[in-house]
Amino acid sequence: MSKKLSQQIAFWIFRILGVFVVGILLWILGFIIYNGIGVISFEFIFDAPRDGMLKGGIFPAIVGTFCLIVGSMIVAFPLGVMSAIYTNEYVRDGKISKFIRMMTNNLGSIPSIIFGLFGMALFVNTMSWGDSILAGSFTLGLLALPLVIRTTEEALRTVPDSLRVGSYALGASKLQTIRYVTLPAAFPNIVTGLILSVGRVSGETAPILFTVAAYFLPKLPSSVFDQVMALPYHLYVISTSGTNLEAARPMAYGTALVLITLVLIINFSASLIRKHFSKKLGGH
Amino acid sequence: MNIVETKDVNFYYGDFHALKGVSLDVVKNSVTAFIGPSGCGKSTFLRLLNRMNDLIPDMKLTGKCLINGKDIYDKRVDVDELRKKVGMVFQKPNPFPKTIFENIAYGLRVNGIKDKEFIRNRVEESLKGAALWEEVKDKLSRSAYDLSGGQQQRLCIARALAVKPDILLMDEPASALDPISTSKIEELIFTLKAEYTIVIVTHNMQQAARVSDSTGFFMLGELIEFSETRKMFLNPSKEQTQNYITGRFG
Amino acid sequence: MDKAMRHFEKELIALKGEINGMWQLVLSQLQKCKQAYVTNNIELAREVIIREKSVNSFELDIDKGCENFIALFTPVAMDLRLIISMIKISTTLERIADFADGIARHVVDDDNVASETMKEDLKIEAMFDIVISMLSDSFVALETENSKLSGTILQKDDDVDTIYEEGKRYLADYILKDPEKGECILNTFLTLRKIERIGDHCCNIVEEIVFYIDAKVLKHSKGRRSEQKIENNEPEEPK
Repeated sequence: MSKKLSQQIAFWIFRILGVFVVGILLWILGFIIYNGIGVISFEFIFDAPRDGMLKGGIFPAIVGTFCLIVGSMIVAFPLGVMSAIYTNEYVRDGKISKFIRMMTNNLGSIPSIIFGLFGMALFVNTMSWGDSILAGSFTLGLLALPLVIRTTEEALRTVPDSLRVGSYALGASKLQTIRYVTLPAAFPNIVTGLILSVGRVSGETAPILFTVAAYFLPKLPSSVFDQVMALPYHLYVISTSGTNLEAARPMAYGTALVLITLVLIINFSASLIRKHFSKKLGGH
Repeated sequence: MNIVETKDVNFYYGDFHALKGVSLDVVKNSVTAFIGPSGCGKSTFLRLLNRMNDLIPDMKLTGKCLINGKDIYDKRVDVDELRKKVGMVFQKPNPFPKTIFENIAYGLRVNGIKDKEFIRNRVEESLKGAALWEEVKDKLSRSAYDLSGGQQQRLCIARALAVKPDILLMDEPASALDPISTSKIEELIFTLKAEYTIVIVTHNMQQAARVSDSTGFFMLGELIEFSETRKMFLNPSKEQTQNYITGRFG
Repeated sequence: MDKAMRHFEKELIALKGEINGMWQLVLSQLQKCKQAYVTNNIELAREVIIREKSVNSFELDIDKGCENFIALFTPVAMDLRLIISMIKISTTLERIADFADGIARHVVDDDNVASETMKEDLKIEAMFDIVISMLSDSFVALETENSKLSGTILQKDDDVDTIYEEGKRYLADYILKDPEKGECILNTFLTLRKIERIGDHCCNIVEEIVFYIDAKVLKHSKGRRSEQKIENNEPEEPK
């Protein structure tokens, strides 16, 4: 077979596979939009569920998911960013950083349901926070931690060493270098990574199952010790455990559509933010 | 007056003996160039002078290395202070992803200077010192990445000048630049000599010949010859030097 | 490039300055030598001899400057030609000064100098004047980088040669008439010969200047002088 021909064939295989992947994505998206768009209304978004969750809306679940996103961000960001700075800037090639990196990777591969159990054991029972936003946020935060550490490390690694060395050469200390050179240079990528990990966490069901999520709670939370409804769990509930599953089906598609939209908005905003900053910094 | 004095300096990276008993003195307000094949230790020696080699794990140093008469490897020496006195310009221009102004002001800010007027004056002074002011005075708030490679390198020189060092180390400062930018940098080195002591490492022998007063030739970690540049290029005293500078090397 | 002069141009100008200084010194040596010879002024002749040393040190300085310039700045094209011609010019100037020194020594040491009438018959003063003008004209040629002047300078050398040939015949006749004066005539002939050689050396300098300015090699080319003359005799374009 000639070189040209085999190249042509390979290209076509890759092209077909690529189109196939995009096709699946579009299909899922289309399927959910097609089935869910019908129930989307002002009432659906801004009202509480009624009549065995067959009527009304999903407002408490949206609010709940939002609370959990903010809560898990507060838990995961400082912890994750600082530990990434430590491993990447302070103990870069040492044994400690290798160990931390290995543990982080392991943490990342633990199934999310185990995080849920762990959260229930530690936060709900031992700390006796009960089923609460606090317990749920910590559990989700822990789940997001490996992702946050990984993306922050990646972002720090994209900052060329020449910048750090340039800063030291001017008499800047290590901390000053991190604070004024490395972090600002890595900032767009760090933020992007953080937002993506939020998007990832916001769709999780298992960790909130035992720690925060309420089956049915039309009331909005008033403190961090309250339970809340959450979109993914709500979706799970109305598709598996209702009196009339068939009747709840449109509500389920509607909820799925809202959840997907939320995640897409988050991802999209991540790329917007990156673009904004790279333009401002003159871009690398 | 000798601003740098080294006596029998040996340097090791792990097991690798990178510098072998190097002793040399650098005269104040002169340009000293180091030449030699890749891996000969000339850059290592340069980085010794502002303790940049400290960043390398497993390094070991013996011998004396004095700047202004003080041992810079003394335990009481504050490395950050040393680096303020011994500025450095690198092979590839490495401006920070900040504005032109902030790039120059950085060295002042990390050293605790807050007076805005003072900073502004020093930025202007440094840019003028690096022959860049006329080209950038109207775009100080633009990103440093908008500048050309040659301009970026002069920005890095200005950045180093802003903290008023005594010595300016240059590690192949023109090797990533086009000929015109290179000759601008060389001219700049020549004018900077009036106020600073410059030590430059270069791959380009002609460059060493053009800009320097004294030249050191390194090979395999040894300082083979260190003499006045004119003498080095007209009548080197060692055969190895002769072979290297005439291209009969290897 | 920059408005500011580049470092290496400054060095080049300094070297040119050295050459200019040497040139002026050699010119004044020639003038004094002529004066000393024509008027038999022993004091002036001594001065010429003493100052010969500074001509030599000029030559050494220029050689060293040129060596350094080549070693440090690796000049090319025009700069390279300038440096090469400077090295040669300085050597030639030194030779010219040597001849001046020789004539001065003759004035100081020898009792048997030519008589006033003999000097006049030989047109020695005129010969001196021509070679001096050749040297000063070639200086102007270098200063103004004008190779056109070379033609007239080379032409003057023919005049010097004519005077020399006539003088040689005159002295040959003289020695037949008055063999007693043999030593005096021999000395006078040597002086005549030296002046003639100065003229030749001026031509060498001009050739170097032409090499520098036009990158043309006139040396040893047949009919170089006539060629150069023809070039020069072309009517100048109206300005």
